[in-house]
Amino acid sequence: MMHSVLAWLQRRADNVAVGLLTAIFLSFILQIISRYVFRQPLGWTLEACLLGWMWLVFWSAAFTLKEKDHVRFTILIDAARPGVRRVYLVITSLCIAAALVVSLPATVDYVAFMKIEKTSLLKVRFDVAFSVYIIFAVAVIARSVWRVAQILRGQDEDIQA
Amino acid sequence: MSLAFLICLVVLFGLSAFGAPIALAMIAAAVSYLAMTGQDLALASEQIMQGLFNSFILLAVPLFIVAANIMNAGTISDRLLNFCVAAVGRFRGGLGHVNVVASLIFSGMSGSAIADAAGIGKIIIQMMTKDGRYPIGFAAAITAASATIGPVIPPSIPMVMYALVSDTSVGYLFLAGITPGLLMGGVLMVMVARISAKRGFAVEEPTPLRDMPRITMNAFPALMMPVILLFGIYGGATTPTEAAAVAATYAFVLAAVFYRAITISGTYEILSSSARASASVGLVIGGALIFNYIVASENIPNTVAALLRDLDMSPLAFLLMVNLLLLLLGCILDATTILLVIIPLFLPAARELGIDLVHFGVIVVVNTMIGLITPPYGILLFVINATTGAPMRDMIREIWPFMLVLIGALLTMTLVPGIVLWLPRLLGYGG
Repeated sequence: MMHSVLAWLQRRADNVAVGLLTAIFLSFILQIISRYVFRQPLGWTLEACLLGWMWLVFWSAAFTLKEKDHVRFTILIDAARPGVRRVYLVITSLCIAAALVVSLPATVDYVAFMKIEKTSLLKVRFDVAFSVYIIFAVAVIARSVWRVAQILRGQDEDIQA
Repeated sequence: MSLAFLICLVVLFGLSAFGAPIALAMIAAAVSYLAMTGQDLALASEQIMQGLFNSFILLAVPLFIVAANIMNAGTISDRLLNFCVAAVGRFRGGLGHVNVVASLIFSGMSGSAIADAAGIGKIIIQMMTKDGRYPIGFAAAITAASATIGPVIPPSIPMVMYALVSDTSVGYLFLAGITPGLLMGGVLMVMVARISAKRGFAVEEPTPLRDMPRITMNAFPALMMPVILLFGIYGGATTPTEAAAVAATYAFVLAAVFYRAITISGTYEILSSSARASASVGLVIGGALIFNYIVASENIPNTVAALLRDLDMSPLAFLLMVNLLLLLLGCILDATTILLVIIPLFLPAARELGIDLVHFGVIVVVNTMIGLITPPYGILLFVINATTGAPMRDMIREIWPFMLVLIGALLTMTLVPGIVLWLPRLLGYGG
């Protein structure tokens, strides 16, 4: 039950990522067409692309990127025995979670403070634009803690993937 | 260098060495540095978000990734390959040459070596090993070696990253890569010819000349892609970033409308995997932004420059030293990490020594691409191993000759900047 709910959520998160990438792509095309075909440069398309790109990176990092999708250095991990590998995973996951937890309050403050500024053309408030970083930080913390719990309970078969 | 920075490095290298995603390790290291120096911990997120939001040029990355994935899924790569077999398959070691030429053409369409190896690479290795004509190690080795040309000839994702950290023009960098890319292709073909003659590899049945027009027509729309891209950028119609969007659109129209090779669900899959690939690169870039902020606030690049000044190093000695260092680092580090984290350390020194930064950029990109095939951490070897099952040991044994000639080509372009710079100068580069 829990598993199928998570899988469903994962697919929806993937829909969002695909939607963002498609939006970036289409606004670029729109920008080129309007400038070279209609001689009417649009400024907002560029801003939309940058917002979409920022959201794409952190949204995907939060919800759709698996360990194997990340740029990683795997020589030592691959060479280690499964038991040792679990130790590595526990230590690295805890360190990353700790760093994000420690910086979270200041980060939330910063993002909230950015409500005073808006993007110049689309008038999107920067606290809204940057909030994806908070989503990312919380999701990475949750996933790291979850992974450590899985490893400690000995249910980590699919974690390597 | 302060104690805080030292600890920051320990956290970064420690976490990455034990398999943490490098981007997350950089963020964790940055937080530890900020905490030790008593700075606002929010600086990490601020640098990353502002950096990503203000780097228009980076938008080329997801678009080039989409373009390459569409080309691989949409039979565009296959058609190009048929054309190359017809054109150069008739020589001794034919499919080896086909491999290099196909990479050269594909280079003009995709910005990523991995897309090259995983796309046409997979198909051509199957062709080469059918009926045991070529040993799989050789087939895989020449595929990996020729895939390194991908990001040297424009378009190029690594060059976009270099332009970001060095503040040089992507347009001129792209132009500067063309001759070096052709040089790399040339030396690889010479090596293929020599090895084929020595080991008596098969000659393909020559494609009858009367079939040439049909095969060429079939590949023609795909062959037009590099032309459209270059014309768009240098004819002033598009910026390099916009050219990436045009490339992706063109590839999509070809694949979906002309070749009818991708479906709606296929398109979704392409976008989904492109989104993941873009995000993982984007996250490393984000991590590098905060890390580079720290490196700059520690004044490291200027310290490096001052150190080299005291050593009274000549520009040439500097270039050779950087090359050697990068080749060694390339054995264990990813090209993205080198370009975004290591290179900024050397840029002020290079500038001070009067080295042309476009020349430097091309050398650095070629160097990190060679790093993609150097064992033990050669990503291209891993990709080919994963997609074709070619044994690692055979590949490594067969890759040496190709690696040596590529290093030779790298040395040549280091010593003779003209090879790199004549084309950009011809089109108005003042450096």
